[in-house]
Amino acid sequence: MTAEVAPGTARSLYLHIPFCDTRCPYCDFAIHIGGEQLRQPYVEALIREVDHLTAAGQPPGGLETIYLGGGTPGLLEPALLGRILAAVAQRFGIAPGAEITLEANPTGLTEARCRSWRGLGINRLSLGVQSLDDATLHWLGRNHDGKTAERALRAAVDAGLENLSCDLIYAVPTQPTAVFATGLERLLSFSPSHISCYELTVEPGTPLARWVAQGRVSAPTEPEFIEQHRLARDRLQAAGLRQYEVSNYARPGHESRHNLTYWLGRNYLAAGCGAHGFVGLQAARALGLAVDSDRVAVRYWNFRSAATYIKEVARRGHGRRGHEGIDQQQAEMERVACGLRLRAGVELRLSHQLTVAGRLAQLGLLTIEGRRAVATARGVEVLDRLTLELVAAKPGVAEVEGAAQRRRVPVAAAAPAGPPSPGGRKVKPERVRQEHSEHIAGQGGYGPHRQHLRPSEPESLTGDRGLQHSHRRQADSRQQ
Amino acid sequence: MAPQSTSRIRNFSIIAHIDHGKSTLADRLMEFTGTVSARDLTEQMLDTMDLERERGITIKAQAVRMTYQARDGQTYEFNLIDTPGHVDFAYEVSRALAACEGALLVVDASQGIEAQTLANVYKALELGLEIVPVVNKIDLPQADPELVREEIARVIGIPAERSILASARTGEGVDQILEAVVTALPAPVGDPEAALRALIFDCKYDAYRGVVVYVRVMDGRLRSGTQIRMMANQGTFTVDEVGIFHPSMVEVGELTAGEVGYLIASIRNVRDSKVGDTITEVSRPTPAPLPGYRQVSPMVWAGLFPVEGDDYQGLKEALDRLQLNDAALTFEPETSIALGFGFRCGFLGLLHMEIVQERLEREFQLNLITTAPSVAYRVTLRNGSVMEIDNPDQLPEVGLIETIEEPRVKLEIVVPREHLGGIMELCQERRGEFVQLEYQPPGERALLTYDLPLGEIIHDFYDQLKSRSRGYASMDYQLTGYRAEQLVKLDVLVAGAKVDALSIIVHRQQSSNQGRKLVQRLKEVIPRQLFEVAIQAAIGGKVIARETVPALRKDVLAKCYGGDITRKRKLLEKQREGKQRMKRVGSVEIPQEAFMAVLSLDR
Repeated sequence: MTAEVAPGTARSLYLHIPFCDTRCPYCDFAIHIGGEQLRQPYVEALIREVDHLTAAGQPPGGLETIYLGGGTPGLLEPALLGRILAAVAQRFGIAPGAEITLEANPTGLTEARCRSWRGLGINRLSLGVQSLDDATLHWLGRNHDGKTAERALRAAVDAGLENLSCDLIYAVPTQPTAVFATGLERLLSFSPSHISCYELTVEPGTPLARWVAQGRVSAPTEPEFIEQHRLARDRLQAAGLRQYEVSNYARPGHESRHNLTYWLGRNYLAAGCGAHGFVGLQAARALGLAVDSDRVAVRYWNFRSAATYIKEVARRGHGRRGHEGIDQQQAEMERVACGLRLRAGVELRLSHQLTVAGRLAQLGLLTIEGRRAVATARGVEVLDRLTLELVAAKPGVAEVEGAAQRRRVPVAAAAPAGPPSPGGRKVKPERVRQEHSEHIAGQGGYGPHRQHLRPSEPESLTGDRGLQHSHRRQADSRQQ
Repeated sequence: MAPQSTSRIRNFSIIAHIDHGKSTLADRLMEFTGTVSARDLTEQMLDTMDLERERGITIKAQAVRMTYQARDGQTYEFNLIDTPGHVDFAYEVSRALAACEGALLVVDASQGIEAQTLANVYKALELGLEIVPVVNKIDLPQADPELVREEIARVIGIPAERSILASARTGEGVDQILEAVVTALPAPVGDPEAALRALIFDCKYDAYRGVVVYVRVMDGRLRSGTQIRMMANQGTFTVDEVGIFHPSMVEVGELTAGEVGYLIASIRNVRDSKVGDTITEVSRPTPAPLPGYRQVSPMVWAGLFPVEGDDYQGLKEALDRLQLNDAALTFEPETSIALGFGFRCGFLGLLHMEIVQERLEREFQLNLITTAPSVAYRVTLRNGSVMEIDNPDQLPEVGLIETIEEPRVKLEIVVPREHLGGIMELCQERRGEFVQLEYQPPGERALLTYDLPLGEIIHDFYDQLKSRSRGYASMDYQLTGYRAEQLVKLDVLVAGAKVDALSIIVHRQQSSNQGRKLVQRLKEVIPRQLFEVAIQAAIGGKVIARETVPALRKDVLAKCYGGDITRKRKLLEKQREGKQRMKRVGSVEIPQEAFMAVLSLDR
């Protein structure tokens, strides 16, 4: 069976629905305000592009995750959503127990609407709550207030959408920590299974960025970030929601399986304006993308404007604007950068990275289990720097600890064997290389038997150390 | 092509301030005399290095022979010697001038004469050169040619009407300049039958032919097969080829008294062909070498270290290569606890240092850290021995030292009257001692002379001079001698470890102020690390100033989904490159700027 499947066949599909009622000033996604008359043609185009994507290969047993993101896909008529999902099911098949997520906003959300979504097979709702405080919601330019958000949460719970995720924003300049804390408690009273807790980010090109530059509003500050980030982390974990990624918290077993494909560097297809897909070399070629053969994966992206997208799909069958081939080194960098964001951490395959990790561990920013580096709570707060330290680590230069002991070590002597890892284990270079190429070729276990996916999962992850434990559970849940 | 006698030869150079149009005028002269066709003319023809063209400066001297049909019906041979203009290369300039009988003084019609130019004019006058002033850029709207003419008359004493008004850009006045070269500049005098005396005014290394020596024959004849001796350097060689610059090298039968050209004689090292040395014939030596030769020695020293330890060998090879063509560059291995293995390099001045550094990075793709430049101190120990210290870190223990002497210079500054106060203040701040002040009548510009330590002007003095005079002041200096001062070594500790490459020697009175400023500046340039970093300044183990770089508290992006990953990776790639330009000292990453921080101490 597996023989028929191209290596790295994507088992996940992202579908972008750009429509929104209003533009939030901090948002930099591809959105389209209003556009009622565009929705029907957009859905047609989307289905046509899904058709086109089948060339990349159909996973045996169907797709494992489908994510309807936006924009506000919840604004789409259930009938249109139904058409999309039916088309996906027909072209790709949907695996039993697949995770099907829909993003929606609280405004206008009813229990009946939630039930109709459930009827379409949608089993996970991501609700854009952002805050329960009226003043903060107003500052964020949201078109709902705290009451509306609570009504929507109630409706989702009552409709039986028990896999419920809420977006929550912190470090909003006008929102005192106490107000954020109150909102957090109110949100927890609905017992959501998943919370994406983001710091407000000033994205370039957004109205918010302009206002900050003009001095009309102040930018989020570091002390606010630290205070509210820690508050959220501690409170959410106490409530049984484990931080399994920098900004994502879930009850064990309710981690976003779809989003994990991004962080674990797995392939996924994407359709819709502004969407990004990530596929293996073979799939990319099947989709008609020109890629050099020294590349190991391809990321592609679509036109951001809904109107352009519709036009392009009509003309060419897809809405692709561009793509990039990713070479082995880039793939490795992405793997470390994304993997480190996870509570499960990332396996370090190069011995000099382990040396750097050892230094970071001494500073209390990482823990090292075997070859796996895991950011500590403090480490997560400076995660981007940790990532840089690890990806900038270079072989061949002897580590210098303390200026006074500085001495030159010939490169030739230091490089091939590699210094011993901090745990005292020698890393065999051949082994490293082999695993390395397996991973980035996207062949590292994308077959139907998921159990083979993580051969190097260290035993030590069973310890109840928050992240690691959660990861274990999460990995288990994904194997069913 | 060659005229029958020296009466139809004119050897001249162009004296000009940077940006006053020297290279453009040289281009125009070559074009007007048909030396190069307008089609082949690249801009700044004589500045052959990319670096020279970009920065608008001349680093190596060049020579070009032009043939000019004068109005008197005769054909003249012109030899234009293009010289470097910067104070760092003052000696080279003086030797190039010594190879000429005249000079064109090019002055920007909107700027007037600058100190550097004046210094070179005086040098030319001392050497007995005839000067033809050219007021250039008269096509500029802000040009005031008459005012500049008067200034030249006042300052140099050449009647205003003798200054030629020209625009090298448009070509206006260029014919007059060519004619003036014939009529106003003297022909060389020299006896072709006398014993050979030829002046070396520059040389360059050619990978295929060895050293090409740029010569002006004063007396006698030079031809292929001549056995020559370098009189100061004592080397003997057999000439393989002589020729002229047209502007590329063209072989000729012989060079006789009065002529300018080149010789090739299987010389392997530019050090065997020293600028200013006299060439004579082994079989018939002249009893009197040409005057003015001196050994060129570096004025400032700095450590050059590869950021990557493995580049050490590459750096050594690159320095060897540069030295082939740059006799003034000296280097010897240096080991720094902080920076590892590198080279202590001697330079003629800061520009020379910058040029070498830039060429190493550009032509040899080396990633370098340069330490703050230092002068050479003369240290007398209690036991009576005397040593030269050009690296502050090598200063012996205080208890062993009897005296420390520092080099001093005579500094001449030309500054418009309204900025005089600020400039005098600057000189005082830098421990200068006033010597004299002259106003050039009618008092628009001041010629200011100070006696001050060389160490005080090798850092940011020139920048300060410019900023405090809105760009109008210019300077020139000459080494005068040594004087004992109360000098101390200031050490810097980063995260508790002494960073030897950051040590500087300062005057005791300024030490606490300097120490405070230095740690403040270092705090600005050392980025926040994953842990707190203390920066301390200490004298003899006693900490006199401290700053702390707080640990990085937050550096994480909230969102990283499908579309963000490419952006994230590109950012990482860029940051990684930046990181690779930093030097890891102990556990702290120190950017390149830190090692030069002392240069930008605002005093």
